[in-house]
Amino acid sequence: MDSLHPSLPAQPKRSGFQRLMRNRSLLLMCLPAIVFFLIFAYLPMPGLYLAFINYNYTDGIFRSQFVGFDNFRFLVITGDLWRLTFNTIAYNIAFILLGNVVQIAVAILLNEMRAKWFKKTAQTLMFLPYFISAVLVGLIAYNILSYDYGVLNSILQSLGFDKAKVYSNPNVWPFIIVLTYLWQSTGYGSIVYFAAIMGMDHEMIEAAQIDGANAFQRIRHIILPWLKPTFVILLLFSLGGILRGNFGLFFNLVGASNSSLFPTTDIIETYVFRALMTNFNFSMGSAVSMYQSVFGFLVVLTANWLVKKVSPDNSLF
Amino acid sequence: MVKTKKAGTLLLASALTVALAACSGGNNNGGNSASGSATAPASGASSASASADAGKPDTSKFVTVNYVILGDKPKNGQFEKVLAKVNELLKAKVNAQIEWKWVEWADWQTKYNLLLASGEQLDLITVGTDWLDTWSNAQRGAFLPLSDDMLKTYAPQTYANVKPEEWAQTKYDGKVVILPENQFTQWVNHGFIYRGDWAKEAGLPDKLTSWDEIEKYLQYIKDNKPDVVPFDVAAGGSLNMIWDGWDQSFTKNLPLPVTSGFLPMFYAKSYDEPYTAVSPIFDDTFMNYVKKMKEWADKGFWREDVLNNKVDITTQLEAGLTGLMSHHTSQFSGLRPTMDKKQPGSDLQFFPFARPNQNLMATSITHGGTSIGAHSKNPERALMVYDLLRNDKEIYDLINYGIEGTQYEIKDNKRVLPAGYDETRDAFYSDFWGGRNDKLEIPSDQTWDKIDTLYQEYDSYKKPYIYGQFVFDKSKVQAELAAISQVSSQMGPSLSFGQMKDPEKAVQDFRDKLKQAGYDKVMAELQRQLDDYKKLIESQQ
Repeated sequence: MDSLHPSLPAQPKRSGFQRLMRNRSLLLMCLPAIVFFLIFAYLPMPGLYLAFINYNYTDGIFRSQFVGFDNFRFLVITGDLWRLTFNTIAYNIAFILLGNVVQIAVAILLNEMRAKWFKKTAQTLMFLPYFISAVLVGLIAYNILSYDYGVLNSILQSLGFDKAKVYSNPNVWPFIIVLTYLWQSTGYGSIVYFAAIMGMDHEMIEAAQIDGANAFQRIRHIILPWLKPTFVILLLFSLGGILRGNFGLFFNLVGASNSSLFPTTDIIETYVFRALMTNFNFSMGSAVSMYQSVFGFLVVLTANWLVKKVSPDNSLF
Repeated sequence: MVKTKKAGTLLLASALTVALAACSGGNNNGGNSASGSATAPASGASSASASADAGKPDTSKFVTVNYVILGDKPKNGQFEKVLAKVNELLKAKVNAQIEWKWVEWADWQTKYNLLLASGEQLDLITVGTDWLDTWSNAQRGAFLPLSDDMLKTYAPQTYANVKPEEWAQTKYDGKVVILPENQFTQWVNHGFIYRGDWAKEAGLPDKLTSWDEIEKYLQYIKDNKPDVVPFDVAAGGSLNMIWDGWDQSFTKNLPLPVTSGFLPMFYAKSYDEPYTAVSPIFDDTFMNYVKKMKEWADKGFWREDVLNNKVDITTQLEAGLTGLMSHHTSQFSGLRPTMDKKQPGSDLQFFPFARPNQNLMATSITHGGTSIGAHSKNPERALMVYDLLRNDKEIYDLINYGIEGTQYEIKDNKRVLPAGYDETRDAFYSDFWGGRNDKLEIPSDQTWDKIDTLYQEYDSYKKPYIYGQFVFDKSKVQAELAAISQVSSQMGPSLSFGQMKDPEKAVQDFRDKLKQAGYDKVMAELQRQLDDYKKLIESQQ
């Protein structure tokens, strides 16, 4: 194409259309993704208006009465919002950071393994929990931790210890929840890192080996830096959802009624569940969603800005 | 160039996050909203009201009448067989056939309300004022108002069997919109289910009459039956009804149809002052309750981890591992024969919470019922079909019990399962909850044959249901009600099961939280609406 405009010194910027034409094959390849987001992400967006109206389905979305921020009131009225926001964020930070660290560690370990059968078996076993539904996880946890008949207490008793009152001790729950999360997600998450390691140029490692680098040095100086961009991107992606709790996990592990555990386990989702369970209300639900999204958006912007300061190459935009 | 790209990605990122919100917005809740918005009263189908053609209804054209039913569609083919038989009869009698339109249980509230709002042509619709949002739907014009003439002409048997004061409870805006299930006795009042044999062992009368006796019973089990959980409850079961039961036993309060999360908290003072809202949560009633439950918890009447208990209590009871559970009369009447088989001599008994203070309101006659859809094309024929479903012995038996010989056999005037009955292959249900009729019911050997003694007890002190037309309009207090429900569900369970160190302080905290959530505002609104309701009722008398 450039040959059509042979070496004009002050070439004017191409118009948008020309650029479009030039990249048409690339754009065509993007089309499915674009259409997908258009339909499932952009088209429903006017629905956010729900958060500001008193929705009733006879009048529909745009004819229902506009009520401003009224739908957000139930969140702040009792002053619980900050505790909930804190809990949700703290858990998510633990999930994101610990999760990624453990996933990276597992990926590296898998990579260093020599016996192929062991590698495959380990991978499969770690992968399996990901497919167990949260309801079952909750049931398994109950059968382990239950006071009267739980496995944990049976073991403790047979060893001569006192029974543990797990379901009335809020302080152990952050550990239980985070551990459960890691148990469920590590196998799955480590795949991405494992793939990244597989994609490395093997000559680098060989060169390092020839230069006398031991396994730890290879990991520290070659593999970890190689994984950094993957880590940053995954981090930025997950930060957008930092205010979205894993409802299934929390609800099934903690239950809806054990308030003695709520100080350390209550997140926005479980709170909303209790508030709206008996008062179905689309608008209030949308209001919560809006709060979470706007907050997540700001966090992504901030995090991206920070990343750009530290290592400009890895930022998203 | 770089700049535009930056702006573009920024826009993209923001759009994505916001879009996520838009997608997930609907997931957080289901069901309806905003019952209060002013909508025009039902306008539909004026053709139907022209019922001048008295005498013989015209049935020359064959029509299909559909019926909105709540429940999961049966999958073993039995239902279709039964319906085919019903339709043969209907064709012969009124030249019509019926079709069940199932609203399956998953997310049923949303689906049901949307179906009614969709404007689809619905002929018969299952309704229930206390669980199916019937008044809000009437307000939105989902139902066809029925004139006396229409009812007399097309549903004469039903019309004759509903008393004028019963019709009054089915009216919205002065017009009948519901055909009530007024001829069907059902008691869903809660109470304790306990074992008569153990009560006798404990030296108690076999008919317990007070919470003190219940406590002695539990203590006896705790002391003498180490393998048995004296009082077993499962999280998510009907454990919230115990507070309601306490209030019923110790006051004359009447529960109002206003939901408030885990603990019901909106009551009217008494049958003599039914339009005065009271707050038992804020007086001694609740304090005594919490203290007593703390006492019971300390005595170890229930499991240490009661609030997370996932064990199925009924199974436990049947295995003889439970001393007491809480449920309603109807559940008890089904449990008793099972227990007689599984734990012979257990002499299962029921302690209705209504008993100590003789405080019982009958189940609303519109707990079940049927309405005609506003957009129905054949309301006349729908009424005729309904009249048969409810009053024709042959059709009634088919639709409620299935085919004689396959689903049931009659032995000593009772329904029994035929030999060779296979639950998976032969099970049948139709979920017809819109017009059952005591006169046509055949007792089953699956329910207790002496349940009448309980019914007689209830009849001796029951009062009619008086909030049949009360529709709480929550539009002005939605945020407060949501916040209150949250507080109630957050703190209610632990208050109810003594999971605290200092009950007085816990109750105080709870009350403070409720006040903060706007309890007073809701109470004021409730009282205002009760005043209006009083005027409405008095104007009808």
